Amino acid sequence: MRNYSKDSNHAAICCQMMKSYIWIQTTDGAIQQVEQEVAMFCPMICQEVIQKGMGSSKNCAISLPQRVSPAMLSLIIDYCRFHQVAGRSNKERKSFDEKFVRMDTKRLCELTSAADSLQLKPLVDLTSRALARIIEGKTPEEIREIFHLPDDLTEEEKLEPLKNTTDDPRIRLLNRLYAKKRKELKEREKLKDVDAEEEHVDDRSVDDLLSFINGGDGGMLKCCSTRLLGSRKSGQEILCSPMIVSFLLVVSDLDDNKCEEECESLAGLKPYWGQEIFSDSKGIKTSKNKKKHKKRKDLQKCAPSNEAIETHKKESNAASSLCHNAEVDHELQSSLGEKLKLQDVAGEIFAPTVEFDDVDIDDEIDPALKEEIDREVEDFARILNSDWPERMQELLSLGQERRPAHLSVNGNGALKGHASMPSFPL
Amino acid sequence: MLRKANSFPEEVLEHVLSFITNDKDRNAVSLVCKSWYEIERWCRKRIFVGNCYAVRPEMVIRRFPELRSVELKGKPHFADFNLVPDGWGGCVYPWIASLATAYPWLEEIRLKRMVVSDESLKVIAKSFKNFKVLVLSSCEGFSTDGLAAVAANCRNLRGLDLRESEVDDPSGQWLSRFPDSFTSLASLNISCLGAEVSFSALERLVGRCPDLKTLRLNHAVPLDKLANLLRGAPQLVELGTGAYSAELQPDVFSNLAGAFSGCKELRSLSGFWNVFPGYLPAVYPVCSGLTSLNLRYANIQGADLIKLVSQCPSLQRLWVLDYIEDIGLEAIAACCKDLTELRVFPSNPYGAENNVSLTERGLVSVSDGCPKLQSVLYFCRQMTNAALVTIAKNRPSMTCFRLCIIEPRAPDYQTLQPLDLGFGAIVENNKDLRRLSLSGLLTDRVFEYIGTYAKKLEMLSVAFAGDSDLGLHHVLSGCEKLCKLEIRDCPFGDKALLVNAAKLETMRSLWMSSCSVSFRACKLLGQKMPRLNVEVIDERGPPDLRPESCPVEKLYIYRTIAGPRFDMPGFVWTMDEDSVLRFS
Repeated sequence: MRNYSKDSNHAAICCQMMKSYIWIQTTDGAIQQVEQEVAMFCPMICQEVIQKGMGSSKNCAISLPQRVSPAMLSLIIDYCRFHQVAGRSNKERKSFDEKFVRMDTKRLCELTSAADSLQLKPLVDLTSRALARIIEGKTPEEIREIFHLPDDLTEEEKLEPLKNTTDDPRIRLLNRLYAKKRKELKEREKLKDVDAEEEHVDDRSVDDLLSFINGGDGGMLKCCSTRLLGSRKSGQEILCSPMIVSFLLVVSDLDDNKCEEECESLAGLKPYWGQEIFSDSKGIKTSKNKKKHKKRKDLQKCAPSNEAIETHKKESNAASSLCHNAEVDHELQSSLGEKLKLQDVAGEIFAPTVEFDDVDIDDEIDPALKEEIDREVEDFARILNSDWPERMQELLSLGQERRPAHLSVNGNGALKGHASMPSFPL
Repeated sequence: MLRKANSFPEEVLEHVLSFITNDKDRNAVSLVCKSWYEIERWCRKRIFVGNCYAVRPEMVIRRFPELRSVELKGKPHFADFNLVPDGWGGCVYPWIASLATAYPWLEEIRLKRMVVSDESLKVIAKSFKNFKVLVLSSCEGFSTDGLAAVAANCRNLRGLDLRESEVDDPSGQWLSRFPDSFTSLASLNISCLGAEVSFSALERLVGRCPDLKTLRLNHAVPLDKLANLLRGAPQLVELGTGAYSAELQPDVFSNLAGAFSGCKELRSLSGFWNVFPGYLPAVYPVCSGLTSLNLRYANIQGADLIKLVSQCPSLQRLWVLDYIEDIGLEAIAACCKDLTELRVFPSNPYGAENNVSLTERGLVSVSDGCPKLQSVLYFCRQMTNAALVTIAKNRPSMTCFRLCIIEPRAPDYQTLQPLDLGFGAIVENNKDLRRLSLSGLLTDRVFEYIGTYAKKLEMLSVAFAGDSDLGLHHVLSGCEKLCKLEIRDCPFGDKALLVNAAKLETMRSLWMSSCSVSFRACKLLGQKMPRLNVEVIDERGPPDLRPESCPVEKLYIYRTIAGPRFDMPGFVWTMDEDSVLRFS
């Protein structure tokens, strides 16, 4: 028999009797005791005790708000227990706080909510700041992901910006469809067999395209011609007149090698920027741009280019019909603004060397139309003041040589260089 | 896909948002979902509109009912080089009028490159009872009458900053309009004023405002009176002196040195017009604590400069004339290890002669010796690819690199090659580069490098560079974060612009002057891109009097949800569907 344990028990009991406890009931029905000075650190509990006389015994335990789960209560008690001690330095408190908020986001959210319902302002501030830090630097998509929030804003509410993301599942769907289409084309090539379905689809897209050209008002066109799609990754929409469209059609090229390429942001939505107007913000994420230089064969007649062209028209039904793959959702079409990068295309337009593919495009175009298109191409070239074929020859022969800068002559002598201030940009 | 329950405690969202003040973050928050959009817009206090024509004031007011602070920018950056003709626009009055009715509790207005009339200032003075901060940066159109109205009526004004504005100042008496009971001023910048202000009013004002931390005087405040002001405000953190010369008199000197010694909090010095070197040692007592030193107007020769700067080991920001020379920059590289920003301005930009020994070597020294260097603006007369490559390798953490070789199209002076490789190295190594200005002889190659590597680039300034549309195309298609692009005297035409038309909607603005963009292309762009304002600026007269293929003089394209503006002068035309009809 050892008396000292009895003594220490006795001492402990005495200590216990000297402390006061507050009785608290959590949402699961469980009731527990919390040291008074700790519990009273929470204004809500304080209020219940003082104003309503609750908490002094098991029978009148203070019921905590629903947002305070037992786990959260435990955390909050830890917090209060630490901070209610008067003698601590600011440094100590800060250090404790920093460690205290290190927890996963879900718990942090729960804790913030619990602290708020107990009106424990210092803890609300601490957890709110931590949540703010999580939010900072993230995109809306990332924030939605972290906190499982719905994506329910309409265009109008965003001040008419349009999203630009390559992560959108609809874009991924389109990408998959295009990739599938390219694969099919490639197989067709190998078989040298005209697949009736393919042809049909091709013709349809060309016909639709042509109807635009013939009947259109010169507006921008949106089309997903397989041929135009064939090679490229996404490009930007081209702003074109029918002339430009036909120009591009003629020179469209189906290089099989390029069929393999990933079409990352092929169906990327237009960038949203209504928000950007209100910010110091710099650009938003545009579609990724994998710049690849490919060796190209000599350009013969015209520069190849190969892109879908897009229209701004709200009635993007045309887009649906132009889309060669029937699987594509109509709703998808109308809500998407397709953004196709012309980067490689333009690269072809401007690059010294270009490559033609094996497919004979001319087979697919009505000869009479082809003649008309050829004429239009010449007109287009003339209008742009560029000696297109000659210029390409020049580029080919010069290669990497630097060509003299071509400066426009205009009336205000701006060529001279110095304005009244230093002419260099700052 | 299983949808987890919304775990964010929305009841505290507003509180959480009170800790999120950065514009980009607020924008991201507002796009998360409907409820966040609503909560965010009701508690947004501060807004920045980078282009005053991108949105109408009514739209801002409708969306953000509780604003306290508005910042607006007007003219494009190239207005600083007189490339934007007078009268182009940027008049702030419509904004002020709308804000006055909508936000009686507005506290702060910050404007840059805008035309501000006295009437606007009077409206500000009368409409906002708790008005606190007015910043007019590079603005014009107002006089000291407008300032007098602000002084007389804004009882709680904390900041009045006129940096680099053009002020018509017939009267120096406007300062006296601050009532004797007015004591809340914390920041006053009148450095741009030409005429004298009433010194006694200034002295009394400085003496009765205990929170005054920033005081930037104008040229007209004489040096021998500076000590009085300093003794009245020993709590100053930022000081801009007036003219820094007087006859060297021992008592004036010791008085001044004593006054500076008393300013223990001083961290930033500027001003220093017309320096008499004999008085420089008066500032030595504060040099060790200085973090910012602006000597861009100081005609101090090399030796005195070096002596001064060598006393400032804590310097983070230094603006200086090229009198510093290579040797001075070496000294800085050895002494100022905390330097983050360096700007070297030309003392004689229009002279053909090279009057100072400032070459590429100076910049190389600084890039080598200053590990925290982030921002560079450097005017010089010669550069080499090798130097740029070295700088790029020394300092891969730069965010702003602006090199201005004074002679357009100057090649690498040793190899006579274009500077493509040098700038290429800069963009390749400095992955966080946000702002870049090019100069010297440059081909399309440099733009290829920029398009390939400068993925975080936000602002690019180009002059006398490139060979063809390919150059512009590289930039527009490659620089994903591009926000502002300004180009002058480059052979860029229609093709790159039309092909990359959609990109323009992702940028704030594009300026092209003395390039090869045809009127036809402008019309096409304007017609087909309703969310862009395509402004043709041409002082030769209406563009339809010339052939469609004729290049326009100047082109300013910016995204907007406000539609075409209606305050254009006679030499500006906005291309849209209507105007196209008018022109055809």
